[in-house]
Amino acid sequence: MANKGNLLLEIEDLRIEAYADEKWFEIVHGVDLTLRRGEVMGLIGESGAGKSTIGLAAMGFARDGCRISGGSVEFDGLELTTTSEADRRRLRGSRIAYVAQSAAASFNPAHKLIDQHTESPVHYRIRKRMESQEDAMELYQRLRLPTPREIGFRYPHQVSGGQLQRAMTAMAMSCRPDMIIFDEPTTALDVTTQIEVLAAIRDIVNQFNTAAIYITHDLAVVAQMADVIKVLLKGDEVEEADTESMLKNPKEDYTKSLWAVRSFQRSQKQRPGDGVPVVEVANLDASYGPVKVLDDISFDIHAGMTVAVVGESGSGKSTAARCITGLLPPTGGTIRFKGQELPPSYLNRSKDQLRQAQMIYQMADTALNPKIRIGNIIGRPAEFYGGLKGTNLKNRVDELLDMIELDPSKFYARYPPELSGGQKQRVGIARALAADPTFIICDEVTSALDQLVAEGILKLLDRLQKDLDLAYMFITHDLATVRSIADEVVVMKQGKVVEQGPKDVMFKPPHHPYTDLLLSSVPEMDPNWLSTLLEERGVDNIGEAASS
Amino acid sequence: MNYFVIIYYALLIGGSCLAAHYKKREIFLLLFSLTLASFVMGIVGRESALWAVSIGAGLLALAAGIAYSFREFLIIISGPLTARALRTAPLTAAFGMFVIFTYAVLGIFAPIIAPYGEAEVISQSFAPADENMLLGADQLGRDMFSRLVYGARNTVGLALMATAIAFVIGALLGMIAAVKQGWFDQIMGRLIDVVMSIPSLIFALLLLSIFGTNMIILVIIIGIIYSPRVYRLTRAVAGNVVVMDYIEAAKLRGEGMWYLIRKEILPNSTSPLIAEFGLEFCFVFLLVAGLSFLGLGIQPPTADWGSMVRENATLISFGEITPLIPAAAIAMLTVAVNMVVDWMLHRTSGLKE
Amino acid sequence: MDVARIVLMRLGLGLVTLLVISALIFGAVELLPGDIAQSVLGQGATEETLAALRTELGLDRPAPVRYLSWLAGAVVGDFGVSLLNQSPVAEVIGTRFANTLFLATYAAIIAVPVAILLGVIVALFRNTIFDRVANIATLTSISSPEFFLGYILILYFSVKTGWFPSIAKVSDGMSFFELLERTFLPALTMVLVVVAHMMRMTRAAIINLLASPYIEMARLKGAPGWKVITLHALPNAWAPIINVVALNLAYLVTGVVLVEVVFVYPGIGQLLVDAVTKRDFPVVQACCLIFAATFILLNLAADIGSILTNPRLRHPK
Repeated sequence: MANKGNLLLEIEDLRIEAYADEKWFEIVHGVDLTLRRGEVMGLIGESGAGKSTIGLAAMGFARDGCRISGGSVEFDGLELTTTSEADRRRLRGSRIAYVAQSAAASFNPAHKLIDQHTESPVHYRIRKRMESQEDAMELYQRLRLPTPREIGFRYPHQVSGGQLQRAMTAMAMSCRPDMIIFDEPTTALDVTTQIEVLAAIRDIVNQFNTAAIYITHDLAVVAQMADVIKVLLKGDEVEEADTESMLKNPKEDYTKSLWAVRSFQRSQKQRPGDGVPVVEVANLDASYGPVKVLDDISFDIHAGMTVAVVGESGSGKSTAARCITGLLPPTGGTIRFKGQELPPSYLNRSKDQLRQAQMIYQMADTALNPKIRIGNIIGRPAEFYGGLKGTNLKNRVDELLDMIELDPSKFYARYPPELSGGQKQRVGIARALAADPTFIICDEVTSALDQLVAEGILKLLDRLQKDLDLAYMFITHDLATVRSIADEVVVMKQGKVVEQGPKDVMFKPPHHPYTDLLLSSVPEMDPNWLSTLLEERGVDNIGEAASS
Repeated sequence: MNYFVIIYYALLIGGSCLAAHYKKREIFLLLFSLTLASFVMGIVGRESALWAVSIGAGLLALAAGIAYSFREFLIIISGPLTARALRTAPLTAAFGMFVIFTYAVLGIFAPIIAPYGEAEVISQSFAPADENMLLGADQLGRDMFSRLVYGARNTVGLALMATAIAFVIGALLGMIAAVKQGWFDQIMGRLIDVVMSIPSLIFALLLLSIFGTNMIILVIIIGIIYSPRVYRLTRAVAGNVVVMDYIEAAKLRGEGMWYLIRKEILPNSTSPLIAEFGLEFCFVFLLVAGLSFLGLGIQPPTADWGSMVRENATLISFGEITPLIPAAAIAMLTVAVNMVVDWMLHRTSGLKE
Repeated sequence: MDVARIVLMRLGLGLVTLLVISALIFGAVELLPGDIAQSVLGQGATEETLAALRTELGLDRPAPVRYLSWLAGAVVGDFGVSLLNQSPVAEVIGTRFANTLFLATYAAIIAVPVAILLGVIVALFRNTIFDRVANIATLTSISSPEFFLGYILILYFSVKTGWFPSIAKVSDGMSFFELLERTFLPALTMVLVVVAHMMRMTRAAIINLLASPYIEMARLKGAPGWKVITLHALPNAWAPIINVVALNLAYLVTGVVLVEVVFVYPGIGQLLVDAVTKRDFPVVQACCLIFAATFILLNLAADIGSILTNPRLRHPK
């Protein structure tokens, strides 16, 4: 990635305000940014860091309810903050292009892909319509889309997510812009799909020597894509350096803490030699209407152990949890709890059976009733199952709040919306504990949280498991989480269990081909990881490997 | 040209220039387009049109002033939480609250405020206004103003009762359907679709033709006719709540239906439901007024705004506006409620973001 | 599922709804305390006269049989005989229904284009002072009872200026333009209410649409404002706009009742009100069925329209 050209984009002291509660708040506090021709800059930060807002500001664009309140944005000699809206508009699509997070929502459902592709070049009179169509097909080919000559004539809803994301990249390239803003283009995709999109984006950006701002929250992804990385925190720059040195020796404490997260790992426990498993799932089938979503799955969960159920979207891992809790009565197979068969529907289970199996949810926002005080949320299971009242109840809630490391005097009377994401997730854990369970299902409990917070939750869950001898079923798509917390791993794909076993065995070869694909698709911090992987798999096979 | 016209244009043009100078784009656009419109109106309608515009502007300013003072008054007398919410209320909503407040006072204290009885004949039919009768007499010689005041009690009271019935039935069934789902939900959905495919006025007429126009029957019929609308909204609002994980958590805990409705769903649906109550009240109120106007609603001699319009309609052909006053009273209350509802809906949708 | 099947299913559902409604309308009269004969003749009627009238009206047959024969008649336009003057209901309704349709169409032709245009304009200028003025104006209009607007129009355009007739009398020999002039005020009354409703709904639909990510994408692709609207927003706006139009046309059909009474217009709404007052049940039933059927048909048309314009359904996977 040598031969970087001259200056293309220069942002100085950029300030952006957002309108909320009848007031303007500053959300980006004076950020500088320079980008040379052909250079790729990674913007990384947690949610609320202002990455997308800065990315859009680089196009001279502010969303409704936002405004650029200070500083300058100079694109190839043109000052975007003061120039007319018409001038700014003429840059968009032709010289600066944008690739959105959700291609499925960002393509217009009423038009064919290729018509949306040719819109800008025809509008700017860069190419005639037919030429532009030819060009689109060629770009589709370069981006390794299947049937590149036909796919453009489909409507967005007829094309899969990963393919749409590549088609959108092709569309961004349609006028051969000087710069593209990639706004989390792979966040919504599964890991195996993510790779093909990453590889396609990187290749095409290199081929046309396009400058790019690549926005993401995923360090490993940005390591593959960017020449330079800029770390943001709450609208401020933390530090900026080229990718190599940023990964090797980050200077600021915040950056170091981001890097450090992935190091948490607890020792693996072995199954007790004998004893009845807490949960025993045998030959479970389930379907939503005529669609079969679980096909003959079996696994055991023993006391005090964590079983991670891994899979991509549509693999049936959450459905398995719904069957165990009884929300979705299975169509076949049995679920035993401590050796006793559970009724299929939760409506027929006894209060004690319900008490012993608890659940922690992915979205803490929707898992806690916003209109009930924290103390009552946690207190209700203790009252409902344990019959606690008055001071006994209050003491129990205080004890639980202590357990999840929240100060009872501060949090008891608060409502969920007043809490941060991590605190809400802790309250969710406390509510599960209040029932005094033996088994807890953790459904993607860390995937909605920023990395540092997620780490705290994992450590808390680990400590509680040791103290209370809990069995966990840990549903996740994130293999890094599996690595840090699991004792045993169950890999699922399209409603079937592909492979299962103890973690150390599972993470060592030989693997089942799908496990192998899943494992190798998880981005690593090594900037050469993607290149190495593509070489191993063979560039042309990558698409098929993922979609097979 | 006289002084009035000169001052009129001087004010408008001067205001436009000032607005333009201080870059108040919106105010400038408003004033300047008003100026241009005035040229046309001045030529077509002569000076009187300009007078009408001035009076209109004066009334608007008066309404704005009342609204502003009333909002400040409410902020001062209410608690800190309510006061914070009230501060976001636009003047239109504050004006709406003021009107509703006035109507409530009129309705509650009707016998004290009204100078004469509801059905008291005190003069000749259609007697003009004098110092005894603020608005003159109606077709039987009863005091128009007194009947107007009593109408606030009868018409609004009836509409309120009907809305309450619609709400109790609709909201309860809607929440039960949201919690239970399954066949109950399905059947209710279909049933509601069918009932709602009969236009409400027509449905009301059909039922009234059968059961007659008794006050209690009227309330019940209207309540039942409007309950499907409430059901639909409640089902939708509760449906959004029911998919939340905290409901799933409560269900898995083994909580019963009443606990779910009372503790989990209701507190999370109150603001859209209150707004809907306002909207529904407007519909019901207009329907009641319409039925009374057709002579099928509240029966004489009970004072009611809809029938007052009908009974005095002949006056219109003599260019009198008296029969329009009860109609305006209806419109005013509906506008007021709508303005408050508008603000509340805006607030609830804003809070979601 | 392909579009044809969805449309067919929707049509079937519409038909079932219509059937249920007809049963409901018929059954409602059965709820009458006593029966029709009793309520026609009053308390003082002797047993003989009652029995005679029952035989005459066919009331001695069981209700399901009477329903089926009534339905069979209704399908071919025979709604029985009016209790008041013994003339066939179809005859009474015939011209009046045509008059009502004329009035509703008249209002719709003015209201629909005006409302959609204004709605789109207000949506584009949202949160400006014009939007706020329009908001208050439309709110006032939808909050006013139809008879209020009607009488105001009569007062200013008829009594004070003499521009239009205050009573919409129509007769057979009138020329088309005369007809238009006679019915101008009732049409305008409905236009005022419907335009306000439609403007608000169109505005909401467009604003909802403009918030979608593909509109932001279009702007980020450098498409000029008019292109964003015509090329990107409009093709997706058909479904909501069709819905708005159908809903308001349905509203027009029922709102017509009050307007007809205000302007003494010889339409079916006026007839319904008279029949209700005089408890002429065959006429009430027929009018209700006609109103409900129109309402259902319009909703059906809206649903099918939005199915047909939905790209996801038009181009299945």
